[in-house]
Amino acid sequence: MTHKQMRIIDHPVLGAMNERDIMTFTFDGHTYKGFKGDTIASALLANGIRQLRVHEERGTPRGIYCNIGHCFECRTTVNGVSGVRACLTPLKDGMVVTSGQTEPVPLNSEHDVDELPRTYTEFIQKQKAHEAGDSDA
Amino acid sequence: MDKMIICRCEEVTLGDIKDTAEQYDATAREIKLRTRAGMGYCGGRTCRPAVDKVLEDITGEKPGDQIPLKVQPPVRPVTLATLGGRTNDT
Ligand code: FES
Repeated sequence: MTHKQMRIIDHPVLGAMNERDIMTFTFDGHTYKGFKGDTIASALLANGIRQLRVHEERGTPRGIYCNIGHCFECRTTVNGVSGVRACLTPLKDGMVVTSGQTEPVPLNSEHDVDELPRTYTEFIQKQKAHEAGDSDA
Repeated sequence: MDKMIICRCEEVTLGDIKDTAEQYDATAREIKLRTRAGMGYCGGRTCRPAVDKVLEDITGEKPGDQIPLKVQPPVRPVTLATLGGRTNDT
């Protein structure tokens, strides 16, 4: 599995990467492997995953931005705790990491009041219809 | 250029800020309140210098004039649980 990862295994200055303990974790239900010493973000990046969440209102992709714990763009939910910065949190074996999702925006003034979903189910239906419409276009 | 995102937390583009300034003839503070630029999850700690500069260019108001767009503590977002003494062990 490690050979499939995007890693610098022989650095011209830092030398070859030594043997590391392998840790298994899940991200949005998929199982991945990383090394001891990885952050959640670096482990995911090595597995080719750059999108860590979506913008809660617009649904646009978000990933590592500052990578120093400053901007909170990389926040994920880890073992049920939300708002955990993937770029700063060391990977641990068995971690359950989930990304965010688009949230309802009931008070957006651009909405036509009659068009507003009245229940969460309606919101999901409308969103699905909206997404289907988008991909047709 | 107008599509460039200035504030990522609230996804406010340069165009949004310009349009708001034009439409409402707004002060720097008003633009900030209307667009929510710099008022997102990170508390403006990432985009603040950019927002300040854009607002200064558009309105001519220097950051800190009259009603300052000041920075509020805490230094970064913390949960109530953290304030209540939980040590984050994730
Ligand atoms: S990428 Fe900025 S806080 Fe993690």
